[in-house]
Amino acid sequence: MSNLLLLLILLPVAAGAICYFVRSSAVRTLTVVATAAILTLASLGLLGQGTFEPVTVGSFLGISSDLLLTVLDFALLGVIYYYGVKNKSLLIQGFTLAQAVLLAWFEIVVLDHGTVPALVGDQLSLIMVLIVSIIGSLICIFAIPYMKEHEDHLKLKKSRQPRFFLFMLLFLGAMNGLVLSNNLLWMFFFFEVTSLCSFQLIGHDGTAIAKHNAVRALWMNAVGGLAFVLGIIFVYSQMNTVDLSVVLANGPQGALMLTGLGFLCVAGFVKAAQVPFQSWLLGAMIAPTPVSALLHSSTMVKAGVYMVLRFAPGYVDTFLSTGIAICGAFTFVACAALCIGQSNGKKILAYSTVSNLGLIICCAGINTPLAITAAVMLIIFHAISKSLLFLCVGTIEQAIGSRDIEDMRGLYAKFPRTAMITLIGILTMLLPPFGVLMAKWMAIEAASSNIYVIIMLAMGSALTVVYWARWGGSLMASREADAPAEEQATLIRMPLVALCGGAVVLSVAAPWIYNSMLAPMFQAPPFTVSLGSLDAATGSFGVVPLFIVLGLGVVYAAKAASGFRKAKVMPPYAGGANVVGDNDGAYVGPMNGTVPFTASNMYLGELFAEGKLTPVFNALAGALIVLMLGGAL
Amino acid sequence: MDTLILVIIGLVAGPVIGGLVAGLDRRVTAWFQSRQGPPIMQAFYDVAKLLGKEKMVVNQWQVLCAWVYLIAAAVSVALFFAQGDLLLIFFVQAIGAVFLVMGAMAAKSPYSQVGAQRELMQILAYEPVLILVFVGFYLTTGSFSIEAVWQLDQPLLAKMPLLYLALGYALTIKLRKSPFDFSTSHHGHQELVKGVLTEYSGPYLALVEIAHWYETVLVLGLCALFWTTNVAWMAVLLIGTYMLEILVDNTMARMTWRWMLKRVWLLGMGMSVVNLIWLYAG
Repeated sequence: MSNLLLLLILLPVAAGAICYFVRSSAVRTLTVVATAAILTLASLGLLGQGTFEPVTVGSFLGISSDLLLTVLDFALLGVIYYYGVKNKSLLIQGFTLAQAVLLAWFEIVVLDHGTVPALVGDQLSLIMVLIVSIIGSLICIFAIPYMKEHEDHLKLKKSRQPRFFLFMLLFLGAMNGLVLSNNLLWMFFFFEVTSLCSFQLIGHDGTAIAKHNAVRALWMNAVGGLAFVLGIIFVYSQMNTVDLSVVLANGPQGALMLTGLGFLCVAGFVKAAQVPFQSWLLGAMIAPTPVSALLHSSTMVKAGVYMVLRFAPGYVDTFLSTGIAICGAFTFVACAALCIGQSNGKKILAYSTVSNLGLIICCAGINTPLAITAAVMLIIFHAISKSLLFLCVGTIEQAIGSRDIEDMRGLYAKFPRTAMITLIGILTMLLPPFGVLMAKWMAIEAASSNIYVIIMLAMGSALTVVYWARWGGSLMASREADAPAEEQATLIRMPLVALCGGAVVLSVAAPWIYNSMLAPMFQAPPFTVSLGSLDAATGSFGVVPLFIVLGLGVVYAAKAASGFRKAKVMPPYAGGANVVGDNDGAYVGPMNGTVPFTASNMYLGELFAEGKLTPVFNALAGALIVLMLGGAL
Repeated sequence: MDTLILVIIGLVAGPVIGGLVAGLDRRVTAWFQSRQGPPIMQAFYDVAKLLGKEKMVVNQWQVLCAWVYLIAAAVSVALFFAQGDLLLIFFVQAIGAVFLVMGAMAAKSPYSQVGAQRELMQILAYEPVLILVFVGFYLTTGSFSIEAVWQLDQPLLAKMPLLYLALGYALTIKLRKSPFDFSTSHHGHQELVKGVLTEYSGPYLALVEIAHWYETVLVLGLCALFWTTNVAWMAVLLIGTYMLEILVDNTMARMTWRWMLKRVWLLGMGMSVVNLIWLYAG
């Protein structure tokens, strides 16, 4: 058991080091692919062995692992402080110094250094390990050809890929460590490693704007780190332990512990880029696309929601819980509104990620078995679909040189394969019977007992439809009968097809995923599964029946559509003056000139302008967080 | 087994009732305008004629989208008759709505593009209202499934009058009636241009038309759920509501999407929220 755990955490670190020190592209490719394969197998192996009680990790070379970790912790804070000095950021320096001082005081004066089991594997951790190890690995594989092309484009003298893959792989190890931690101090260490990795990766290209955004990400996450340290101290002062399973075992225990959990959740909010902390994640869009995919699907932001969800048993049925639900719901609707005003594909994905994370946090706050099920389902399916969409945007960007959805109009004509995969990705985010929508359905049913939350979810849900539907529609276009087939590198196509297939197949398998992995989490599971349908007292979702009926329908429709050349293919209507022989919507304009077809989506600037709404939303969200913490005190 | 029979009834009766309603609609509208109007069966003749026309398309996506629209609409009606989960029915219905928009966007036609964007605004307006109406169902019956509504011993209308009015907004938008019919509105000079539907023609327009009948039945079915304790009163409620829709359609001018969005989000959602507060308090 322990070997498998160490493999999951340390192998990516070792592989990252190989990538960094052995500067050969063949070795790098081999290392990344092999690591991906081993991580995937190891995570499945861990799943096969099932959940396990907290385990202690022995000593390395005679030094106890707890002491080793403490040393590493301060070394890490030192490194972050160094980057604060190097980038002349007083914010980073200040927040890091505060963390270091508080942590030193805590470790030296307050903490009673007993043995605390370091790692634990419950259902939630195992699911997270699968997401990190499998989806993260696929993204790393995608990054191999992507980064080569990226660097060819930048015409670098010296490749920065060794450094890039070091942090990508290190990220995976740190995430596995974070989700398996049982000791809060261990969790804190891995939490800080992910902050450092994201800083390095966001600033990877080394441009002024990249550096600026990386620094912002680091100081914001340092705020999260500070909240984390405060959280540990508060929790310890009530519970006298940093053993997470002990802390959470008996539910809420007094104001100090709740305040501590409140601070830990704020740390999660920062990591999950909840309003008002969303700007670091938006800024992170400057990074190469595989980084965005990694941050948004299987690492970083998922660490944030994981923490909120992890602590949920500790604040169940408290005001803090309601506060978290309202904060999450607010982020859900606010970021969906901000998303409407965007035409930049990566920004749409970023806002929709934050919006969905808000929904996950909202579910954690509602804190009923049904809501927790919704949250975990959302984590799983959002990770798959969102990583897929980011990789699609990366592929499209390298093909057409733009990430604007207006420039993706009619993508199908030239890049049918990529366009189809992107379209399927969008549909899996938006429509039933796919997993994300199923989780959203659960979330709405779970939220119906709270009027504030349900109003925000209803509005957010409608806003979501607009930005996905118009993007999906933009991709469609006519394709010439003799147009050449699209070419894709194998290492690009493999992750895209795997994720696309995964999004669909796992959606069909949702009832079984629920039965085998989620239902054991609860004493009273919210659903019963019969004939592939999830049934609860409040309603039912026939996953498999819907897939069969709608699937057969779509197959029939696709077959009808594939025979469209038998029908008469006509130019679109242009007010009676099409250009003769042109099927592209061009019409005869003034002076008998040809006016080409142009169109643009409505972005509702007067209602949903980013610049206008962001300060308002930030202020409101800040107030809500104060309300949430104040209630815990 | 009973469920299966109900599903089949729904699938068959859906377009028949929807078509008849469309025919009656035209008769009553004509009567309002002192015209005689077409026969009640006219809607069926129209669709039959469309089905017989030559297949002409701008591209394959329209074929796909028209079919998916029809299939989703039919499945949502089938789920409704199977006494399914209201939220799920609504989400399945949304598949059709989204595909209709995407099909319109696939064509390089300014009219269908504008229509598609406007249709999205319509979806944006009615979706939250519908979800809140379903929350009202949940608060009254303790479940989102339609089965639970039939077990009530007093009509839902008594507890959810404002939600019914809000549903009226959604109904007007969903049926694409004035003042909310701008996504399929006729272009100033050409009677044949019809917004989101511009590029659907012949048999594919027929599919869209049949899908719309299914949707009509679905929204009328939702209205019917407000008076499940007595069939006669249910009929009165439905006829009254639809008559009011026709009256509104004929007396109101078409409005812009901005007007709609503000009106529906403020008034429609406002009424829903007030009614929900009663239910939460009760």
